[in-house]
Amino acid sequence: MLGKNIYFKRINVVNTGDKMKEDRIKQITDQIVDLFRRSGYEVDAKEISKRLMLLIYEFKVPESEAIRTVKNWLMKELEIPREKLAIESPLVKIADITKPGQWISLKAKVVQLWDSSSPNVSQVGLIGDETGIIKFIIWAKSGKGEVEEGKSYLFRNVVTDSFQGRMQVNINRNSEIIEIDEDIKLPPREIEVIGALVAIQQNSGLIQRCKLCNRAMTKGFCPIHGKVEGYDDLRVKGVLDDGENFYEIILNEENIKSLIGMDLEKAKQIASERLDRNAVLSELKSKLLGRYLKVKGTRGGRYLIVNEVEFLKGVDKSEIEKLVEEIAA
Amino acid sequence: MNGVRRREVARRIFAYEFNKSTHRIQPEEDKAPVYVLTPLGMRCNRVFVVGALLDKDEIKPDSGIWRIRVADPTGAFFGYIGRFQPDALESLMEIEPPELVAIVGKVRVFERDGRLFVSLRPEYISVVDSETRDYWIYETALKTLERIRRMELKKDEDCKLAWQIYNPNLNEFRHIVKQALNSLKEEFELLEELEEVEEKRFIEEEEFERIKSKEEFEEFEEEFEFEEEEWDLSDLLSE
Repeated sequence: MLGKNIYFKRINVVNTGDKMKEDRIKQITDQIVDLFRRSGYEVDAKEISKRLMLLIYEFKVPESEAIRTVKNWLMKELEIPREKLAIESPLVKIADITKPGQWISLKAKVVQLWDSSSPNVSQVGLIGDETGIIKFIIWAKSGKGEVEEGKSYLFRNVVTDSFQGRMQVNINRNSEIIEIDEDIKLPPREIEVIGALVAIQQNSGLIQRCKLCNRAMTKGFCPIHGKVEGYDDLRVKGVLDDGENFYEIILNEENIKSLIGMDLEKAKQIASERLDRNAVLSELKSKLLGRYLKVKGTRGGRYLIVNEVEFLKGVDKSEIEKLVEEIAA
Repeated sequence: MNGVRRREVARRIFAYEFNKSTHRIQPEEDKAPVYVLTPLGMRCNRVFVVGALLDKDEIKPDSGIWRIRVADPTGAFFGYIGRFQPDALESLMEIEPPELVAIVGKVRVFERDGRLFVSLRPEYISVVDSETRDYWIYETALKTLERIRRMELKKDEDCKLAWQIYNPNLNEFRHIVKQALNSLKEEFELLEELEEVEEKRFIEEEEFERIKSKEEFEEFEEEFEFEEEEWDLSDLLSE
């Protein structure tokens, strides 16, 4: 049924005696046949095996490339549009993602959404499962729906990628994002950091977020939607430093309120009293910079995700006595 | 990974060790940060310091450059703040010494009379409470002791270099750390005493209040009696 057999002649010379090779080819063939069957197409298993055999053992093409070649050939022959084929990438755990360029599926929870700096990116942030946390990007061109922080999804057919030495996953137009009714657990790698807040970045304080996409705006402009209406939010982007390492942290309104009792209403009040939104930032700097914070959080990508934060309460006399004795010894 | 330079960690160091640092490590490539090697073998570029701001003086009238002196229990840091540190300058203008401050700053090295000196170029300066200061002393003591231990091992390159350049007397540094910790301990003891005194005073005050209210009550009773007398109509009645 599959017309042109361009490789046919060469296949006869391939040594097919090796049982292991045959088994492997059969396994891959079954996967491909199964994949096409699920999309409602019957394909010739024998023909697929022959082509795989040739590509993998004669031409020494990597397995993944051979599979892709055969799939593409079948799609062309049968005139199946790429989107129609229910290509299912293997379901993996985040800790298993080590190589770029792999098609995979993941069940993960959205840990944090970041501000996208590029109009090509619709959403960027972190997703996690019980084995780890990884950065994700949803390309604007993918046309996929937006995800929400704290919700769990099945990310089907996403591509692994490496950026600045770190792994990430990209969601493109062949991917699917399906919300699942399952609370994916995050790695129990909560760490506690005691450090001094040594910097508060400029885009902190009383900020405006785009009503359409929630990204932080600069001077009334959203990086994606341009000049749009925004809504107010309170946050601190800062650096916690323990003398050995530094951790970039984001404190949200709730964190700020628990530390210094300032909420969004109070911040707005300060801004309107002093006729300056920056007055809020000055206030935050004077109350937080140079203070020791105890942060419990999860490490993910660039940021330490803050779960709990409080001011450090001095130091115990017993700790000091212990040190003094240590010196004497 | 080389594209973005890593942020420099803010090191914890007592003024004593800081002021004895005279060796600059020249960067191997352009724009790489300059480090100062301390006598205990630590490279530092950025520091975090908590202490008492003792002076702030404009070095020349209207120069816009201010010299500050900030003391910890072991000595004093000198720093210069000019218009290129707008954040620090803005907050400095609102601080009147003496005051407890925290400073995040870069380490500068300058030469005068053939000798090298170090100073601070603050990025931020903010007023803090004594709890922050206490923790800073504790933390800095801990880290200094760790450096002393590493110097004893003479293993890593920076320690070897520090031995070669400074040949430090480690006991001297141990003594400094102890001194800093003792100042903290004394403060705690003082605080405890103070609390005791406060408590005593509180009790005394309570007693005083009680006596006072009793007096008032008595006064009130007296007044009442007095009023009764005033309005005693027995005379009228008898008439």
